[in-house]
Amino acid sequence: MQPPPVIVVDRPGEEMKAGAADLDAGEESAQVSALRLFVTSGSGRAGLTLFAIMLLISLWVLVTYPLDFGSARWSSPAYWANNPRNAPPIWAATLSGQAGFPQTSIELAQPVETTTIPAGEVRRYQAPIAFNSSEAPTALILTLNGVSFTGRAPSILVSLNRPDGGQIRLTSVPVRGPRPGESPPYRRGYDVSERISLGDQTAAVDAVTRFYGERYPENETPIVSQAALPRALFGVPAADGSGRIEPLDGEYTVDVQVIVANGTDEIAPLNVTLGGTVFGIMGTDGLGRDLWQGLLYGFPVALLIATLTALLSTLIGASLGILSGFAGGLTDSVIQRASDIISNVPTLPLLIFIVSVLGRHLWLIMLVLVVFSWPGLTILVRSMVLQLREGQLVEAARAMGASRSRIMRRHVFPQVAPFIVAQMIFFAPGAILAEASLSFLGLGDPSIPTWGQMLEAGQRTGALYVGYWWWVLPPGILIVITALAFMLMALALEPIVDPRLRRPT
Amino acid sequence: MAATVRQLAFRAVSLFAVLIAVLLLLVVLLGATGFSDNLLRALVGEDVRGMRQALSQTIRDPAELERTVTARQTELESFYGLDQPWYARLPAAVGRVLLLDLGESRSLRTAAGSSDIGDIVRERLPNTVLLLTTAFLINAALGLVIGARMATRVGSPIDRVVAYFAAISFAVPAWWLGILFIILFAFQLDWLPSGGMFSAPPPQGALPRLLDQIKHAVLPVITLVTVSIGPSIYSVRTMTMTVAQEDHVTLARAKGLPESQVSRRHILRVAAPPIVTGLVLGLAGSLSGSILVETIFNWQGMGLLYFQAIGAVDEAVVVALTFIFTLLYVVLRFLLDVLYTLLDPRVRYG
Repeated sequence: MQPPPVIVVDRPGEEMKAGAADLDAGEESAQVSALRLFVTSGSGRAGLTLFAIMLLISLWVLVTYPLDFGSARWSSPAYWANNPRNAPPIWAATLSGQAGFPQTSIELAQPVETTTIPAGEVRRYQAPIAFNSSEAPTALILTLNGVSFTGRAPSILVSLNRPDGGQIRLTSVPVRGPRPGESPPYRRGYDVSERISLGDQTAAVDAVTRFYGERYPENETPIVSQAALPRALFGVPAADGSGRIEPLDGEYTVDVQVIVANGTDEIAPLNVTLGGTVFGIMGTDGLGRDLWQGLLYGFPVALLIATLTALLSTLIGASLGILSGFAGGLTDSVIQRASDIISNVPTLPLLIFIVSVLGRHLWLIMLVLVVFSWPGLTILVRSMVLQLREGQLVEAARAMGASRSRIMRRHVFPQVAPFIVAQMIFFAPGAILAEASLSFLGLGDPSIPTWGQMLEAGQRTGALYVGYWWWVLPPGILIVITALAFMLMALALEPIVDPRLRRPT
Repeated sequence: MAATVRQLAFRAVSLFAVLIAVLLLLVVLLGATGFSDNLLRALVGEDVRGMRQALSQTIRDPAELERTVTARQTELESFYGLDQPWYARLPAAVGRVLLLDLGESRSLRTAAGSSDIGDIVRERLPNTVLLLTTAFLINAALGLVIGARMATRVGSPIDRVVAYFAAISFAVPAWWLGILFIILFAFQLDWLPSGGMFSAPPPQGALPRLLDQIKHAVLPVITLVTVSIGPSIYSVRTMTMTVAQEDHVTLARAKGLPESQVSRRHILRVAAPPIVTGLVLGLAGSLSGSILVETIFNWQGMGLLYFQAIGAVDEAVVVALTFIFTLLYVVLRFLLDVLYTLLDPRVRYG
């Protein structure tokens, strides 16, 4: 962490005296004109716009995301198990002219037909796939999101119908039967979905090879490995006899038959997933997590860290500064000694130490940041209050019999306020950067994903350096933009708090 | 003069109080959470295990062996103060660290294999100092030259660019920029090494070795300079500009002094103390930043050591390093006060 660029207020009393005159003319108008100056400056407008956009995104995330997004989804590998690992975003493939197969998931809610057989009931589901891509899917997965049965375990039969008339038996598996001591109804896959991988079954490899030989005898039958099975399922042997597999466009159907023993057995919607080579708006990381979701979730967290830390530091710093300046005596010395000591403590090493000893909690990080950042403001505000207290404005007010609290409220605070606001905005980027640094060191709160943590995951696995730009760039850019939004506002406030810094226009 | 000395002495006491406060915080946190007990128990356990092994060669009777070992364990426990609650050990612990008796590391070693934390720090500290001072000097030189020039062009388009660049440069995390530089310059373009301090194996001879180290230092130094140069230029510009508006500068110009003299003697001389303060504070700040930058570039300095200590949950090293970081920070702050006294006659004679 670096110290923020210093807003120089080496002799604030001068402007205060100058400002006192027009303050009498109208306290309102001085503030309104300051606000206008802020809004009309380019950096002020840019900062405000960025801030507003981030606020909107944060609100949207707060409304649509579950409260336990971090622990229940982001940190749970099972939730992302169907996704491809390290897949670039869809648009990247389009832009670079390479075809990618986007991740596709089809929900099977209702059976297309139900037949009663002596042993129970057969429910048949069908997932139509309009395949039109030069790139084959990387996987074919059936997900059971919840099965409950009372007697014999249901068994599942899956086959693929191809546009060229082929029907390839993919798998036939029973649902896990009752454990000893378990009582009906037996429930499977409700908490964590059960995944049946269809794209690597040895039986299906044989079936495809046999089918190729029968249907395309004139082409040399390629050797289908387990890894190449999804490609073979959605392709045909190349006509040139090279032994390669070419994709075959057309209408495919994944046919799922579930044989249940009782008509009352339940099957929640099934899912057929075709693993993509590209994924979503921002791609996936090494665990298959949708980076777009994580990036969006980072907004409210970053804004929370920034605003709460800045607000609390300012509140403590400003009130202690005013108290120190006005009370004098012992109170003043105690506050001054304390802020002198705390302002000389290097924050980051202590932050690392405290978090690694007391635990990785976001509230702890913010607390430590607040505890170590108020003294600067206290020292500044105190020196201004001291100067104002001796000023003519306060003297006049006192002569007219104004009470201490009234002088404080009406005559001192309004003049100190712009500095306090400027300092508050200055606290924000520091807090964001500190949390990001800490997260990057692996000390972020595991239940609340942040941009820094996303980068840490990439650094830990070495993934950042192997060309996964969609994983490296966006979190960092968002950290920069968020910190920048506050920096721009601070930049716009500078000439307002110190008129000497106004640029000739 | 006496007043100045008294003032500096007062400042020294205050900074010493910072050291004590940080140490107290460390020791209390470790004590109250039970970390310190675990740490000392592990030490005693290791000692006792080694001793049992050694003694089992000479003492054949198991009961006798057990008795001797238990006696030794009790002795050690009382030596480390484990028979007392943690707060009773507190003054001793603070005193030890203050006297730089930093203890032993559990997992980290020097190149020569020493586990003494003092030795490890002595090995790593020069590397950090080398990296940070190089970056600091470049940053200060560029900041002064460009910043002072910018102050004469306030309001121009290039001035605006500098202002925005300062804001961006402050908003960019140094470690992220470092990653980007590594990807670009080390992996894509293959111009510079991606990390470490020497090639493997290091070249023979003093000069090739030095050149090799310089080559490895280029990327971390550029990273450190890039993130600090914006704020440096901007603050130099702002302070210079503020002074340039003072009456005495107008008077100097009215007297017909050449602009170069006005700028050197009447503007920069007056603006020097706050400028130096800002720059040195930046150096102090980059001390903390080195933890991340050294980690990214695998630069064998104090920052990387700190990161490794946290990863290995080596409490003794973490405590020692937090203390050393505070110590360095405080020393820098004190030097700054001395420098300020030298530079600002108002402080010297006031």
